[in-house]
Amino acid sequence: MTHAYAKLRHAFRYGSTAIGAATLAATLAAGSVVAAEQGAAAAKQAAADLGAGKADDPMVLKAPAPNARRVYVYDPKHFAAISQSFIIDGDAARVVGMADGGFLSNTVVASDGSFFGHANTVFSRIARGKRTDYVELLDARTAEPIADIELPNAPRFLVGTYPWMTALTPNNKTLLFYQFSPQPAVGVVDLAGKKFDRMIEVPDCYHIFPSSNDTFFMHCRDGSLLKVSMGADGKSQTKRTEIFHKENEYLINHPAYSPKNGRLVWPTYTGKIFQVDLSSQEAKFLPAIEAFTDAEKKEGWAPGGWQQVAYHRESDRIFLLGDQRAASKHKAPSRFLFVIDAKTGKRISKLELRHEIDSVGVSQDAKPQLYALSTGAKTLFIFDPETGKEVSSVNQLGAGPQVITTSDM
Amino acid sequence: MRVLVLAATLAALSAGAALAAGALEAVPEAPAGSTEVKIAKMKFATPEVRIKAGSAVTWTNTEALPHNVHFKPGGSVDKELEGPMLRSNQTYSVKFNTPGTYDYICTPHPFMKGKVVVE
Ligand SMILES: [Cu+2]
Repeated sequence: MTHAYAKLRHAFRYGSTAIGAATLAATLAAGSVVAAEQGAAAAKQAAADLGAGKADDPMVLKAPAPNARRVYVYDPKHFAAISQSFIIDGDAARVVGMADGGFLSNTVVASDGSFFGHANTVFSRIARGKRTDYVELLDARTAEPIADIELPNAPRFLVGTYPWMTALTPNNKTLLFYQFSPQPAVGVVDLAGKKFDRMIEVPDCYHIFPSSNDTFFMHCRDGSLLKVSMGADGKSQTKRTEIFHKENEYLINHPAYSPKNGRLVWPTYTGKIFQVDLSSQEAKFLPAIEAFTDAEKKEGWAPGGWQQVAYHRESDRIFLLGDQRAASKHKAPSRFLFVIDAKTGKRISKLELRHEIDSVGVSQDAKPQLYALSTGAKTLFIFDPETGKEVSSVNQLGAGPQVITTSDM
Repeated sequence: MRVLVLAATLAALSAGAALAAGALEAVPEAPAGSTEVKIAKMKFATPEVRIKAGSAVTWTNTEALPHNVHFKPGGSVDKELEGPMLRSNQTYSVKFNTPGTYDYICTPHPFMKGKVVVE
């Protein structure tokens, strides 16, 4: 560690925030105005400390207490064996910590923000050898592990990260994860008891949306939802809903779901948005919304990206990434964001993001921040969704960041 | 990372000429009198067939999408048998030497399920 680096770390301590090597690099890079300002302030503080004869006192920092604007950005690094999560303070637009992950990890964040974690996969020889799947929970301020629970028989579904393939129950005591092969199943991990509980065999249904501490819903191949009631006796009951979409209506892999009000917001390739209210522990299908007019669809407007949709619970608003694109280009990024009233289906605004955005997220506070992640630019852009103004950004977020996770505290 | 990379999986599977004695035996040609199971529209057309011990089942994929038959250890299956991916009109035969119930799936489509009951 150089003297200058030590001084900088020392300065950061007074800001009472954690810093990793990547933060420092990001801070020193000229790419972001905010980062440059942060770097200048740190340098000024360090110089003042030096002038005042203060001794340098290196130490391990803690991240500030999590709030609604704590953002986790997961970088699967384009299918690399080792991945990373960046812990970002949305208010300061600053990386306040990092966590390492294995192959195609799934991030979870506690509903009160107190911890976060991953369902992980590692191998004894980096990308080969004995495979170990496990759930790791980390403290939200220190990023120290608080639980490490092994999953027997390597049951994780290794797939490009779909947030709702792994989920916490509302009380944060159970983690549920999806198994694809050799048969569809949902694994139950007892976080309170720190042990793997059991696999629940399910029909050919996908994704996991917990609606209560012992109930979750899935989306099935036949176009229905499946309600799974986890019995305390270890015996689960399943029940299918009506078929709610046609076979040629393709629902995307990244629906938005609010566990607090049970709202499931599920767009199709063409921008038709299905909404389901799961709050009563039964699926209530709300009227479908069309995000684009027929004229717009003719001009090629359609949703696209990775996490293409976000939902803000308090304002009951939907944020959808969209752009003009050729058919089957639904994974290409979008340059526009469509803000839609979830109740009426009316478009509130169309915001030009001025970047190629792959994933979108929103904080759940009263005046939310909008998070727009560019996998190509490896940058998280933070917007005011009211005005559409870009307020800050955080760059150098790994190799291919794709997933934004926030907590509805 | 063989689990996810489909192209690599397919290549590995098509190279594997599965030959095993024991309860399940992959055989290179459809034996005379073997029971036919057609694969179409993401399904095994006759998901349950009954045969006598010592006879065979022959699967034929009738669509462009590749499928296979995959017996995982458990139940009557003592040793895993993962058949090659079949292209359109390709066939695969397995001889069943021991009575029992043999569940199988298609490797990339685990919701495709079938069963061979051997008497
Ligand atoms: Cu198949």
